[in-house]
Amino acid sequence: MFARRNFSMARRALMNYGKPQNPSYNELASRIEPIKRTGETIDVKRARLTYQSRKRGILESDLLLSRFAKKYLLTFTMEQLDEFDLLLDEADWDIYYWATGNYDVTPLPEKWKELEILKMLQEDAQNNKGEILRMPDLH
Amino acid sequence: MLRSLRNFSTSRVARQVIGSAKGETVNSTKYLGQKYHVIDHEYDCVVVGAGGAGLRAAFGLAEAGFKTACVTKLFPTRSHTVAAQGGINAALGNMHKDDWHWHMYDTVKGSDWLGDQDAIHYMTKEAPDSIYELENYGVPFSRNEEGRIYQRAFGGQSKEYGKGGQAYRTCAVADRTGHALLHSLYGQSLRHDTHFFIEFFAMDLLMENGECVGIIAYNQEDGTLHRFRAHKTVLATGGYGRAYFSCTSAHTCTGDGYAMASRAGLPLEDLEFVQFHPSGIYGSGCLITEGARGEGGYLLNSEGERFMERYAPHAKDLASRDVVSRAITMEINEGRGVGPEKDHMYLQLSHIPADVLKARLPGISETAHIFAGVDVTKEPIPILPTVHYNMGGIPTKYTGEVLKKNEKGEDEIVPGLLACGEVACASVHGANRLGANSLLDLVVFGRAVSHTIRDSLTPGTPLKPVSKDLGLESIANFDKLRNANGSKPTADIRLAMQKTMQKGCAVFRIQETLDECVRDITKVDESFKDVKTTDRSMIWNSDLVETLELQNLLTCATQTAASAAARPESRGAHARDDFPDRNDAEWMKHTLSYQKEFGAPVTLDYRNVISHTLDENDCKPVPPAKRVY
Repeated sequence: MFARRNFSMARRALMNYGKPQNPSYNELASRIEPIKRTGETIDVKRARLTYQSRKRGILESDLLLSRFAKKYLLTFTMEQLDEFDLLLDEADWDIYYWATGNYDVTPLPEKWKELEILKMLQEDAQNNKGEILRMPDLH
Repeated sequence: MLRSLRNFSTSRVARQVIGSAKGETVNSTKYLGQKYHVIDHEYDCVVVGAGGAGLRAAFGLAEAGFKTACVTKLFPTRSHTVAAQGGINAALGNMHKDDWHWHMYDTVKGSDWLGDQDAIHYMTKEAPDSIYELENYGVPFSRNEEGRIYQRAFGGQSKEYGKGGQAYRTCAVADRTGHALLHSLYGQSLRHDTHFFIEFFAMDLLMENGECVGIIAYNQEDGTLHRFRAHKTVLATGGYGRAYFSCTSAHTCTGDGYAMASRAGLPLEDLEFVQFHPSGIYGSGCLITEGARGEGGYLLNSEGERFMERYAPHAKDLASRDVVSRAITMEINEGRGVGPEKDHMYLQLSHIPADVLKARLPGISETAHIFAGVDVTKEPIPILPTVHYNMGGIPTKYTGEVLKKNEKGEDEIVPGLLACGEVACASVHGANRLGANSLLDLVVFGRAVSHTIRDSLTPGTPLKPVSKDLGLESIANFDKLRNANGSKPTADIRLAMQKTMQKGCAVFRIQETLDECVRDITKVDESFKDVKTTDRSMIWNSDLVETLELQNLLTCATQTAASAAARPESRGAHARDDFPDRNDAEWMKHTLSYQKEFGAPVTLDYRNVISHTLDENDCKPVPPAKRVY
């Protein structure tokens, strides 16, 4: 409901009186397997990733990912598309915090540290052109 | 063929057999023209939507032994429930003495006496049990120092029937309550062998002789159409924030369930009640917390004037949400909006020292920078009142069963159809939803739906035969839109609709602007016949899906405008400047809106608010009073 910024780190730690969550998020998340798709052609994969980047759980990742997809999907190779696909399988809040470099909220897992796609997304999220973000039209 | 139908159960064998078990999967293509490949499925129950309400209903049904399908256009953990951060209300009494009767009072008062008190009685009484259930399902609620569930303060929650001060009643999982809830519920549904049909777009209800007998859906992955036959269909598809230009919800919130019900000839209830947040980033919709004004931020119009001083001389920029929202909209209507279209306002923070901004409003600078491209230490943030929640929906009983009004004017249950979550209007939120009551709505009524069905249906009951060409109209519409060759792209019509609703049916409402909005939105609705799609494929056709979604949104929008224009009183979120008072004598009633088919004129009817509780010995109804905080 309210944005994350309502709760500073200090307050969040306080809220739990210093005790760890029980159980932790990752434990929950790890039970949920994303759908693995094999044998797609590059066009089908692009079409699917277009849909999946425009249909997220939260507005913030909707905006970042849909713009990213419109900008890059047509230029991506199969390998890059696969990497983007993996990123889309992550939880929306995690993607948002990683894209905005808030590793104190959600630490960046090892496997994402070297990947090119996330770095590109982070660069995009800088919004260096100073635009108001809206979801781009499909065509 | 059915590669995409995944069963997430732990059994490896089951993985392949969804739909083909017992031979009930039928290729019905021959009945429905050769153009589309149509596959039939038979289930005891089908749930549409896999957010909090849908998952809670689905696994409750699977747990009770029903063969249950859950059809969803999103991977379940990507449902919009994940965005909820606030928490979930229940009178557990962990922080202080608490009583669900107080919660009940707060909710009725919050609803501005448009809520049905039997449903509110049910929800608030069942709330503690629902929370303990969630805890058992693994939702990692934050703890207080005694190790019990921590509860925080939230707006609108009081002790002692409004007389005892602020209540601490909101349970939360740090700031990720929705996320944790959704993940836990999804985990549960996998354990109970619910069949998931993921990234299937539900198109229409299958209705026969006034009874709902299932749904028809489009599988985006392989381009097949699927008819799901079921004894009970549960709609849990969420809200329709996307009918407005500025909304905080994700782009999936397109009111699909609302429109499916409307096209099936059923009424929608109280659509004019739409909750707004005063400050969303213009164009993006991301929230700027009200704390920004609390820390000294102020609003500016195009003349650089701090206009809140005129509307609220004492509270100024700290006035309550509705006052601020209305003031912003009035300034825009009077031509003092900022930007090229003069359609928003500025929120100035740059006078606040940078270190104060950083310490007190962490994240705001970042949000403003990322989504509006604004450096808050130098520039103001463009903002606009932003849709946050739809109180209206498909009218249901507190059991989740969908209601319609029969010829005698009595409530009558629609056989085979239930609804829960934001799409439903039980109505517990009435004219205004209280914070952290929406997640409660999801779990309580998702659970209620599964209990209702458990008590009225035996698993494995054979389905009765229905006409073989059921769903033909839906396929015809699908085909028409896939090949639509008009002059207006989907995105253009969508933007016209969103701007019309934002301008005419947002927070500032008078007869003149509402009537104009009804005329304008009707024109936009008519323009849908000229829609143009460009993608003709059947696989992952986002153009087509967004066009189907637009069609659904238009139904919600036209009925919202018509319902609002017809209600000459101020109640909760429906605030009329020309009728500033609540009129209980004439208008303490629910609006019912109908359209015979998509694009048909809206007709309105009304039904009484239920002002008695389930059991007056257990819980006394709350008599109407002025709603002041």
